[in-house]
Amino acid sequence: MAKQWTPQEQMLLRMTSEFTANEIAPLDLQIDHAGRYPDGLFEQVVATGFLSLMLPNEFGGAGFGPEVTAEVVRRVAEGNASMAATLEGHYKTVYQMLKYGTPALQAKYFPTAGQRIFGFGMTEPTGGSNPMSIRTTAVRQGSDWVLNGNKIMITNGGLAEVYCVLAKTGPQELSVFVVDQDMPGFAFGKRENFIGLRGTPVGEIFMNDVRVSDDYLLGQVGQGGEIGDSAHDDACILMGAVLTGIMDHALGLATSYAKERKAGSTPIGELGSIQRKLADIAMGRETTRLLYQNAAARHAAGQPYSEEATMAKAYGSRTAVAACDDALQVFGGYGYSRDYPLAHLIADARALEIAEGTVEKMRAAIAAEELAK
Amino acid sequence: MTEAIWIVAEREPARINPVTFQLITKAKAIAQGKKVVVVLLEAPDQQFEQAISEYGPDEILLGQNAAYAQASDEVMAAALTTLAKEYQPNAVLFGATPLGRSIAPRVQAALQTGLTADCLDFFYEEDLLVQVKPSYGDNVMCEITCPDRRPQMASVRPNTFAAEKVAGTTPAITPVEVAQTTGPQGRVVDETVRVSHATGIASANKVLALGRGAATPADIASAREIASRLGASVGVSRPLTDLPDFTVEQQIGQSGTTIAPDFLLNLGVSGATQFIVGMTQAKLVVSVNRDAQAPIFAQSDYTFTGDAAAFITALKQRMN
Amino acid sequence: MKIVVCIKQVPESNNVKFDPVTHNLMRGGMSGRINPFDKNAIEAALRLRDAVGGEVALLSMGPDSTAEILRDGLAMGADSAYLLSSRAFAGADTLSTGYVLAQAVRQIGNVDLTLLGRQAVDADTGQVGPIMAVNLNQPQATYATQLTANGNQLTVVRDLDSLTQTVELTLPAVVTVRAEANTPRYETPLHIQQSFEKQVTIWRDTDLALDPAKLGQTGSPTVVRKVYAPEAKTRAQQPLASEPAAAVDQLLVIMQQHGLI
Repeated sequence: MAKQWTPQEQMLLRMTSEFTANEIAPLDLQIDHAGRYPDGLFEQVVATGFLSLMLPNEFGGAGFGPEVTAEVVRRVAEGNASMAATLEGHYKTVYQMLKYGTPALQAKYFPTAGQRIFGFGMTEPTGGSNPMSIRTTAVRQGSDWVLNGNKIMITNGGLAEVYCVLAKTGPQELSVFVVDQDMPGFAFGKRENFIGLRGTPVGEIFMNDVRVSDDYLLGQVGQGGEIGDSAHDDACILMGAVLTGIMDHALGLATSYAKERKAGSTPIGELGSIQRKLADIAMGRETTRLLYQNAAARHAAGQPYSEEATMAKAYGSRTAVAACDDALQVFGGYGYSRDYPLAHLIADARALEIAEGTVEKMRAAIAAEELAK
Repeated sequence: MTEAIWIVAEREPARINPVTFQLITKAKAIAQGKKVVVVLLEAPDQQFEQAISEYGPDEILLGQNAAYAQASDEVMAAALTTLAKEYQPNAVLFGATPLGRSIAPRVQAALQTGLTADCLDFFYEEDLLVQVKPSYGDNVMCEITCPDRRPQMASVRPNTFAAEKVAGTTPAITPVEVAQTTGPQGRVVDETVRVSHATGIASANKVLALGRGAATPADIASAREIASRLGASVGVSRPLTDLPDFTVEQQIGQSGTTIAPDFLLNLGVSGATQFIVGMTQAKLVVSVNRDAQAPIFAQSDYTFTGDAAAFITALKQRMN
Repeated sequence: MKIVVCIKQVPESNNVKFDPVTHNLMRGGMSGRINPFDKNAIEAALRLRDAVGGEVALLSMGPDSTAEILRDGLAMGADSAYLLSSRAFAGADTLSTGYVLAQAVRQIGNVDLTLLGRQAVDADTGQVGPIMAVNLNQPQATYATQLTANGNQLTVVRDLDSLTQTVELTLPAVVTVRAEANTPRYETPLHIQQSFEKQVTIWRDTDLALDPAKLGQTGSPTVVRKVYAPEAKTRAQQPLASEPAAAVDQLLVIMQQHGLI
């Protein structure tokens, strides 16, 4: 059932659509081709308050809930998926700092959370799906923790100034700490050269004897796995929104082209083969939307939402790749041109079959939940 | 006493705005026995009454004062109000220029009468001046009258009527003197005639116009290449002025520049009214748009329904 | 500095249509938006407030639903809002509207500067600002592109198309603002939430010191006696070939025939 937005939410969404249409969407191809946000665009996103819209009022945020926040991400994604992914990476990190952060940590970082972007570092170069295999360590020294290690594939890595990082505090013990770029021993590494979501910086950080107090520990020692899972769930809802926005974008392009393009004297939209593709894109868009909105509604209502969020991303990513592929086919040769958005839309969607856990891993998680019932 | 139609002469630093001459010609055509009177407030050394005389008004009310060389809206409006109260004209017409549209409503408010803005036509029915004005961005026309109060006031859009000189007439020149207002008033500290940077499209023989449907960096680069080969200038519709490549200087339309080239190629321009207003004087118009229903097509001699980017690509290839 | 910005609700789109039978204007959905030029006036006010301190109040006249655009302006960061809503105001032309708005500015009290957009995009008159200035016995600067405050002096650069004029005003004054003056900010999420906590003060005709003879249709000298669609002049619209390459070939031939290449 469609959510009834409050008047405040309606105004937020209308502003988001206007902002996206005027400021972001016209730059979609430029962002893909340049592999970066044009000067001033990200600054304008910050100045318009998008980074703190879900932060509570006491920290200077606007206090909007998870459902409308996801809808904001979807609308931004309809204009440019990279910018939506940047918001996703920030929001999921802020959510964990809200949920698990000490009052001192929140007092330090939240007043500026509307001006600077946050990131969450899980993955390491050695890879492997077992979190216990990570090499980043946090070791007690007096009352402090000393962090050493290296995190890669961080959404907003390099752009973000504040990072949650997963570290081992014991042989079988994971914990999450918050570090920032101003700490001694913190350094940035290289930026990835990905095929899609090319505007979203994805980068690397190094920690070389970065020293933090207990205030910078998220939750408890040993709670790292749970916090990582929570970040994953929040990310999956927002990625479902990104994927839905990508499909909205592809569907809008494909339907308008199908109405204009003629085969002989007939618009191709009247051909059954084209109609079937349009219908498939629309069904994929709608099912993904329902999945992520359901997960967001459960989050807002305080119900468990892990499995639903995982479904939104696992289902939505493959569905979006297929939908964009269908849309490309509707466009024929133009669809294959990099002067049209379809090529990057496929690559954008494809990123989310991998990011935040591969779809294979997610299917395993969904199956495990079902088997446990 | 014969009733009068007043035309308030719009004085620029070095000339009379042509809209004043256009209004004289039009007023003479519809006067039906009323006197056509130009009100000219100028500095003594300006002597614009000679230029105005050539268009054959019946009379010029001439107020000369050094203060009028750089006068505030308040000074101009107060003087006109005083004169209107004294002479009781039937109608007062202004050019719908920024200056005319600033002074006229002050006079209107002081005289507590009606004023119609930006008229495209006006005519008398008996004593009633019927004023025809566009609304909703020229999508609607309204006929407006001011039945009970006088004078009947209107500002009239420049370049709507032709100005015609009248040989061998000598208007009566009536000097008037108006005490300058002592009310609150602005101090004009500088006036600079604007040098238009829009010479590119305003005077171009050939124009390539880009709209939302041809707004990618690739489209823009190709269009520029084609334009340079054709010796054409590149203009844009309003949405594209948001792009870093363009400003309002390249904008075609009501809020931008009116163009009159021999050849206009519209690429991905849908044809919002405000754009069309700025291009109706173009001679040969060819338009490319994906939407067969796009309003631009009705204003086009030749049409291509399809993707502007593809058309640009094909044209660029052919140019090479 | 106490600034009042007068804003107007205009239709979402100017693409109005006529009823094919009655030839009446079909205004379509009731939804409206802030007149775009008024957003430039709000932005100018917010920048002045940020530069020299003070407060920004919004003022609009219209049915109670006009509160929505006042809410939008509050979400841009204005401090307070007043809505003049009364049947007595219905049918007002620019003369009557300017009078009522001026009386409201008097009632708000101690207003240093009244700002408006250069004109509304529906009726395109641009007359209300100067009419207010006369009613308030204040100087004006229309078509402003720059506003600089210095004590009770305001320096305004006016873009008069053929002329750039700089005028110094002693406050209080009325200024209308061009789009070139600034780029209006978007509503921010925080200001959106705050805008719903602010009260929109609604004043009826009885809440203001008004001369009944100057209100509504009675107080409006002008009459709109007819509204119609302008005649559309159209051109030949000959279609070119449906494939781009063939169409381009045709275009080049046509250009040659016209001596353009």
